[in-house]
Amino acid sequence: MAAVTAAQPRSSKTESYVDNKRKEDIRHANINAARAVADAVRTSLGPKGMDKMISTANGEVIITNDGATILNKMEVLQPAAKMLVDLSKSQDSAAGDGTTTVVVIAGALLKQCLTLLSNGIHPTVISDSLHKASIKAVDVLTAMAVPLELSDHESLIKSASTSLNSKVVSQYSTLLAPLAVDSVLSVVDPAKPDMVDLRDIKIVKKLGGTVDDTQLVKGLVFDKKASHAAGGPTRMENAKIAVIQFQISPPKTDIEQSIVVSDYTQMDRILKEERNYILGMIKKIKATGCNVLLIQKSILRDAVTDLSLHYLAKAKIMVVKDVEREDIEFITKTLNCLPIANIEHFRVEKLGHADLVEEVSLGDGKIVKVTGIKDMGRTTTVLVRGSNQLVLDEAERSLHDALCVVRCLVSKRFLIAGGGAPEIELSRQLGAWSKVLHGMEGYCVRSFAEALEVVPYTLAENAGLNPIAVVTELRNRHAQGEINAGINVRKGQITNILEENVVQPLLVSTSAITLATECVRMILKIDDIVNVR
Amino acid sequence: MAIEKILKDDASEEKGERARMASFVGAIAITDLVKTTLGPKGMDKILQSTGRGNEVTVTNDGATILKSLHIDNPAAKVLIDISKVQDDEVGDGTTSVVVLAGELLREAEKLVAAKIHPMTIISGYRMAAECARNALLQRVVDNKENAEKFKSDLMKIAMTTLSSKILSQDKEHFAQLAVDAVMRLKGSTNLEAIQIIKKPGGSLKDSFLDEGFILDKKIGLGQPKRIENAKILVANTAMDTDKVKIYGARVCVDSMSKVAEIEGAEKEKMREKVKKILGHGINCFVNRQLIYNFPEELFADAGILAIEHADFDGIERLALVTGGEIASTFDNPESVKLGHCKLIEEIMIGEDKLIHFSGVEMGQACTIVLRGASHHVLDEAERSLHDALCVLSQTVNDTRVLLGGGWPEMVMAKEVDELARKTPGKKSHAIEAFSRALVAIPTIIADNAGLDSADLVAKLRAEHHKEGCNAGIDVISGSVGDMAELGISEAFKVKQAVLLSATEAAEMILRVDEIITCAPRKREDRM
Repeated sequence: MAAVTAAQPRSSKTESYVDNKRKEDIRHANINAARAVADAVRTSLGPKGMDKMISTANGEVIITNDGATILNKMEVLQPAAKMLVDLSKSQDSAAGDGTTTVVVIAGALLKQCLTLLSNGIHPTVISDSLHKASIKAVDVLTAMAVPLELSDHESLIKSASTSLNSKVVSQYSTLLAPLAVDSVLSVVDPAKPDMVDLRDIKIVKKLGGTVDDTQLVKGLVFDKKASHAAGGPTRMENAKIAVIQFQISPPKTDIEQSIVVSDYTQMDRILKEERNYILGMIKKIKATGCNVLLIQKSILRDAVTDLSLHYLAKAKIMVVKDVEREDIEFITKTLNCLPIANIEHFRVEKLGHADLVEEVSLGDGKIVKVTGIKDMGRTTTVLVRGSNQLVLDEAERSLHDALCVVRCLVSKRFLIAGGGAPEIELSRQLGAWSKVLHGMEGYCVRSFAEALEVVPYTLAENAGLNPIAVVTELRNRHAQGEINAGINVRKGQITNILEENVVQPLLVSTSAITLATECVRMILKIDDIVNVR
Repeated sequence: MAIEKILKDDASEEKGERARMASFVGAIAITDLVKTTLGPKGMDKILQSTGRGNEVTVTNDGATILKSLHIDNPAAKVLIDISKVQDDEVGDGTTSVVVLAGELLREAEKLVAAKIHPMTIISGYRMAAECARNALLQRVVDNKENAEKFKSDLMKIAMTTLSSKILSQDKEHFAQLAVDAVMRLKGSTNLEAIQIIKKPGGSLKDSFLDEGFILDKKIGLGQPKRIENAKILVANTAMDTDKVKIYGARVCVDSMSKVAEIEGAEKEKMREKVKKILGHGINCFVNRQLIYNFPEELFADAGILAIEHADFDGIERLALVTGGEIASTFDNPESVKLGHCKLIEEIMIGEDKLIHFSGVEMGQACTIVLRGASHHVLDEAERSLHDALCVLSQTVNDTRVLLGGGWPEMVMAKEVDELARKTPGKKSHAIEAFSRALVAIPTIIADNAGLDSADLVAKLRAEHHKEGCNAGIDVISGSVGDMAELGISEAFKVKQAVLLSATEAAEMILRVDEIITCAPRKREDRM
């Protein structure tokens, strides 16, 4: 431990020397560990980025292109490497997209820092300069950005498809991008136009079919069968839906109970009573005109029994059971109804109305769809399909990223070019700015500018182009004032990237730069790792 | 002749020179560990937990680092204790106190090597500490009368405290936050009324101070999301089921309908309870425990906002700020004190929905919402802000203020040096050593900033030879600067606590001449 290394400090001169050596080692170890993490995800950047296959501890296999997911599953141990994982998580929660970019930028910055440190620049000086540079960078980006109207569907779709293009599901981007835009726009509350709560968009995954069959459902989808154990209805028009939080089963008290049967005739009576009890409940339900029941899952007792299902079927009431408690809020919001916790409170005004509730069989399973809801709340459901579990999961992650991109645009309505254009422009402008700064600062800012070139460099490299040729030409074009020139990966050349419809939200770029800088600064400032309880 | 064993097996004893050496080594090792975190350009440490989860904390806070260390050296434990005490008492200066004590011991070690008796050193240190304190007392500035100036003093102190932490880039913003929050307290040091909520996302600059109280909970289904002139009942009661809490209680019946009856009776009981609660004339009900679906629906029907599962901390604070009492029985509504507030509404911070109580009874209450990139940043920001709040609330009570940036140490060192020249006998060596230990603090600050400490401290010493000089180390420009102009201030109370407790700790460790380690308690073999 530290106590051993610093034992017996005789003269302060030699002691501080030994200490510094240790601190330098720790700093280098941290930086190298963090860079190793960044290198691991580097190849997944961009539309021609590769995927990673992760086999988790419990034998599950995940194939993904999403930086946050890769890092999350990597289970790194080194503390500094962990910070990079957290960084990508933060980007995920802040912007939802660009999780790979942020880590790659942080890695490049750390590489530059290593050189600066070996030149003998004090870490705090580097850290402060990086902060200044990042503030300037955000200004530059904001100046480059193009404002956007929410009514401009085209641009929204463009940016969603840019995000989708780097994923496994890229060939479906023409389908998924408009879908993401529509679903986000449909949950925007006109009263609070800047806020989008992604929890109002429910993604239901169902195996079978292809990603092509993914659809937006104006209504509700349950990944459950309707109960037809007793031949109950599976399709209901003009549905009156009740969300109930009580159970239709023989009564059970909270105190432990037992029924004492002393003779044969009593048995019959008890059975009859049970029947009457359930029948009574169902009559009450029927009296309100309800014909679809959504029953919350209960751990205390059976939500429904065979007997009650039988009677419900006879009463022509469709039943969906085992609805999770967490979903109740979403459901009631969508159906614009109130949950009912007790049979006594079963009243007409608490019911929701829909044109059609039907069970649809999809692939190997069945789902229940509720459509044509009257006074529907601001929620949307997306039904994702895929031919196998891996594709399905990846499609969901990609869709989530696309949704986040649209959300970013709703909260901060600016677009910026993609394809490495903003990074190279930043690098150019910061490089010019560094020349007017004095001393160490200028030096550090120049390194920051150089580090940013990693994004176009990696994009080109992943696309199989010659990175050096591409980056130098890009630099050249930007120096001539074409600030929107970027790498067109499909054509393998440099074009005006705005015309190619490769755009991304400003928020993704700015948050990537600021978060990466913040993380690098934190790593720089660490000079010791202490083991604690 | 065999000497009888006095101590148990495994117990060890270290005497005299060896014992003293062991404590010096331990204490100095601790000092060296934390001294790089000192000052505005101090470094951070990663604390890697060896326990489950291998959690990682990144911090600059001396108390946090020391608190979590594994320590086996008794003298080192003494230093950790004083840092803890410093944290509880004044909240800041936790690193300084350890560094000063360590430097005092480092000097004492040399004196002991020069065959000066520890007792002589102790009495010299005592005289020096007294003299240093007086020197500070003479130079304190007290702006109690002038509210305007006092406020700017507070701002300066807050900025100085924050400048050594992660918040340094946005220190003005946070200093303003901290000062506003503390000014609301109006002199009380009850920091409980200031609630800090951490929400990942956004950047540190997006943090804000909110008048009122924010509860990180959800409003029940189908209930109003906005209530004006709320009457709040804060309760800790079971809203799931009222169980008979006798083990083995059970119901025996002979028919199904009777079970149904009992179930109905249970429901009825709950309804009664809800009715009683409603009888208080409230429109908001906050419970520490779960509220089950059934009562939740009853509340929704009555148009009452019910919040379930507010944790202990949450309801206690809520009761405090709204002026209510926590109730657990509802039979006599007259005796229960209800809480009041002007408005309850749901707000959204980042991605989460929270419940906001504004216009609360206790005007002092406020909430600081911290935003930041990751949990590391947020945790560290909270620790830093807490330090600032502690110092400020102490300063409001003890309004004496000093300059910072190594200035107080130099002032003290100068006086102590003079004392050494006047004092005859061996004690003067000890007093001189004390002054050297004081100078070590500006030296470390300069070293951490990567500056030439020998040069700077010599310059500083020369400056201080003039009367009434305000010179200190200006870390940003890397030179000697006027601390009053730069607005670097520290609270007198913090400096005094650092000086006195460091001296006391050093004295305590110096007095030791024997360490007895007791035999570790035998563990049962669990093979």
